[in-house]
Amino acid sequence: MNTILGLGFILLIGLFSARLINKIKFPAVTAYLLSGILIGPSVFKLIPNDVISASGLISNIVLGIIAFGIGQNFSRDNFRKIGRSVIWISVLEACGAWIFVTLVFLIILRQPFYLSLLFGALSSATAPAATVMVIREYRAKGNFTDTLLGVVAIDDAWCLIIFAISLAISQAIYAHMLATFFLIKVFLNSILSIFGAFILGGIVATLLAYLSRYLRTQTELLIFTLGFVFLNIGIAIWLNLSVLLANMFLGATLVNINKSSFNFFDSIKTLDPPLFLLFFVLAGANLEISILGKLGLIGLVYLIFRVMGKMIGAGIGARISGASRSIKRYLGLGLVPQAGVALGCALIAKNDFPNVGSMIFTTIIATTVIYELIGPLCTKYALQKAGEILIEPPKNI
Amino acid sequence: MQVKEVMSKEVITVKRSTTLKRLLEIFAKFHIFPLVPVIGEDNLLIGIVSFRNLVNVFQLRQPEILKAVPFLDEGEEDIFKVEFTEEIGSLVVAEDIMENKFITIQEDASLEEAYKLMKLHLKEEFPVVDRFGKLAGMIGIFDIIRYVFRHRGVIK
Repeated sequence: MNTILGLGFILLIGLFSARLINKIKFPAVTAYLLSGILIGPSVFKLIPNDVISASGLISNIVLGIIAFGIGQNFSRDNFRKIGRSVIWISVLEACGAWIFVTLVFLIILRQPFYLSLLFGALSSATAPAATVMVIREYRAKGNFTDTLLGVVAIDDAWCLIIFAISLAISQAIYAHMLATFFLIKVFLNSILSIFGAFILGGIVATLLAYLSRYLRTQTELLIFTLGFVFLNIGIAIWLNLSVLLANMFLGATLVNINKSSFNFFDSIKTLDPPLFLLFFVLAGANLEISILGKLGLIGLVYLIFRVMGKMIGAGIGARISGASRSIKRYLGLGLVPQAGVALGCALIAKNDFPNVGSMIFTTIIATTVIYELIGPLCTKYALQKAGEILIEPPKNI
Repeated sequence: MQVKEVMSKEVITVKRSTTLKRLLEIFAKFHIFPLVPVIGEDNLLIGIVSFRNLVNVFQLRQPEILKAVPFLDEGEEDIFKVEFTEEIGSLVVAEDIMENKFITIQEDASLEEAYKLMKLHLKEEFPVVDRFGKLAGMIGIFDIIRYVFRHRGVIK
């Protein structure tokens, strides 16, 4: 099959499967992922190899765009709006999963530190799509719902930061395992990758804001924004800086220095749907069934301790910020789904760590599928316990 | 030619506290729902309401904060089947549905600049503000086109 025919299949199968799964109230991402697994090399082999080997490229582009978009959260106005409670809970649930999973992998599963740290960082992500869908379906409203929405909205930002830091440390450990002055090298390399990304993002954002005055049409605006996002991703890769942080900081700087910055974010959003579809289907297609069987314990530990870490973290965050009893108890249950950001980060890890990459990636896909299927049930339970589901869902299937 | 020389100065505005019901009533005689400026104290422009914002009432909540979230499915609500009570008319106010990120144009900007901005943002209408951010008027693409025709003598 030629490459373009393969792409055509991917887009159309993705679209129809999303419509289908929507009938049983699961988000489109779940459908894309499952169709990717089905039409990928492991099952029906409908995706040409050229397309599969472009997964790394596509995930870098998609993650760059996502990180750029997430950067717009970092405006003063936004932080004031989301409030203290959401910030505490989201930071601590993300860190809770990160620390918990890292420690369990290190101590109980006796995995090397760099690998444990990567799994920990991946576990901090939460996918909002399924959660938002349940909230909409049951028309949940109230304080618990508001807090949950805030937490799932901002969580990806913390996850990207956590993953970027962990990736920098893991890469440094991996590269200098036998070197003298091991710790100093690890430290310096990590600092360089992170702070370099901040400086790069800042400079590119300033340039973008300055040059934007010469734009004339909406088409130019889209091309211009995309060009700058690619430029930023490219320079970050070239200089070995964190791609995620560089783009997130590009977005974050832009939103603070340019009054009409929402235009840049809105225009690039028009490109998202087909790119995201491609990204998820390819993520599914990258699942290696042969590895799946060997994952048993690792997968199970990840599944359980990620959720525990999130629940404990969210509970502590709720206690510190004086949130209500139901938030303390049940909010963590609304944070079970995992999808795009975790998969994208896992694809980066797959490319950067050839020896363990496939294992990390397959674990994340397999657990993503499970989390996406049970996540909505957990969210519904949490909302019921919080007393914020008032009506039965409309029966319009 | 400056924007302020061509813009409409008499603009129907609403306040933060204007109810949905009132909004629908005010514009009942218009054949489309216009872009409505929402003004705060001292005539400061704080938001705009368009028909899109009215439709958002059906979509239950789509908080601003979710705008930056990737991979979200668009909530599609069948507006012909949505259930709500008539109280929604007095419960929802302009401040709940208004857009607070929007493009404005300064009253002393040139018409060329205004036209360029409209093309750049694919909008046909902008609120015009003075130096202090107070609402001065509205300018639409038709005002600019009419100016061009008048300038060339097609109309007086």
